[in-house]
Amino acid sequence: MGFFTISPELYRQYKDQILELANSFQRDVNEHLPPGERKRGLSDREIAERLGLEERVVTEIRCVAERDYYSLDEWEKAIQFKKQACREYVETKIIRFLKKEE
Amino acid sequence: MAAETRRSETEAAEAKARIKELALKRGALVCGVAGVKSFDAVAPEGHRPGDLLPGARSVVVVGGAPPRAGDWISPIPEHQETMGTSQRIEPIGRQIAYHIEEELGYYALFVPGGVSRGNQPFLSLMLAAELAGLGSRSLAGPILHAKYGMLYYAAVVTTLPLDPDPPLETPVCPAPSCLEMWEREGTTPCIKVCPASAGGCLDGRIENGRFVRTQYDRNRCHTRVYTNWVGGFQKSLEAVLDEPDKEKRKMILHGSFFTKSLWSITYSGQCQAQCFECIRVCPVGQEYRTKK
Repeated sequence: MGFFTISPELYRQYKDQILELANSFQRDVNEHLPPGERKRGLSDREIAERLGLEERVVTEIRCVAERDYYSLDEWEKAIQFKKQACREYVETKIIRFLKKEE
Repeated sequence: MAAETRRSETEAAEAKARIKELALKRGALVCGVAGVKSFDAVAPEGHRPGDLLPGARSVVVVGGAPPRAGDWISPIPEHQETMGTSQRIEPIGRQIAYHIEEELGYYALFVPGGVSRGNQPFLSLMLAAELAGLGSRSLAGPILHAKYGMLYYAAVVTTLPLDPDPPLETPVCPAPSCLEMWEREGTTPCIKVCPASAGGCLDGRIENGRFVRTQYDRNRCHTRVYTNWVGGFQKSLEAVLDEPDKEKRKMILHGSFFTKSLWSITYSGQCQAQCFECIRVCPVGQEYRTKK
């Protein structure tokens, strides 16, 4: 392979830890939380130091894991979710009130 | 010495006023300045202004170009997918960079709106907007401006010394009506529409009028905001490669999902958002986007 990739074994070993430490699942990132509670995800460099890996390896595992985490089904669910949520909003919050004003 | 300091302070104040005037004249709705040191406590090394531009002193942030009021009330979500984009605010950022370099003689680096690797930005534009006092982070994710709600942002890192604007003391989110809803129903509009507990992206609680224990699933949000974008293309291409039947491969390759993904990613060079449902129901900015 002509460009940098990681082995599937290495990927499987670290993907969950890396996603957990990065920005994938953001918990308490908001700035107006009670003092001392604001957190942030780690950079690839920080994760690499913590796990004893090379930064580039962490970057590569993170990139693959970000795509790999949800199956293609989640993309189809996304389409259905948006159609339903948008329609509900327009029907309950907009059309009803526009009709009242007529 | 004191006279020299005063003169440089006056020049910096004039430069800042001129930059803000230029930004608004070019179509931005808001403009603010963040000091580079304010990033240190929140952004990791490698994602701070000085990592992008050696000697950086200030970050100018412009916001604007939200979807129009009509876009927000269209029952067809696909319409807003093409209207929700950072491409209209980015030229204003580039014009400010040009102004700082050509008129004021300082280095100015327009922060690319894209990502460096995977989902990591070069510099968080949301953090830049927050630190420049333009809004505060919402439970839903985006920075909310008190009047306009969600905006698109662009940032310029510069060696020009400017007096930073202070971050907001009081958060824009949760809005008063969300506090009332929380008391009544134990949820907020954004959590209700996209709850992490039921296959969505968001969670959190309100205590003493503030959010606590906030949660945001960026990977799931990515499937919604960028359904027909690079991630969707990669996933569907993988499905094509895994499909041994030629006729079935054709159904995927020529089907609506793959075709739309190609339309989206080849219209590249911009950030094309495709999900607005948490912000559609958000009361912040509702007044601005309510028309007759």
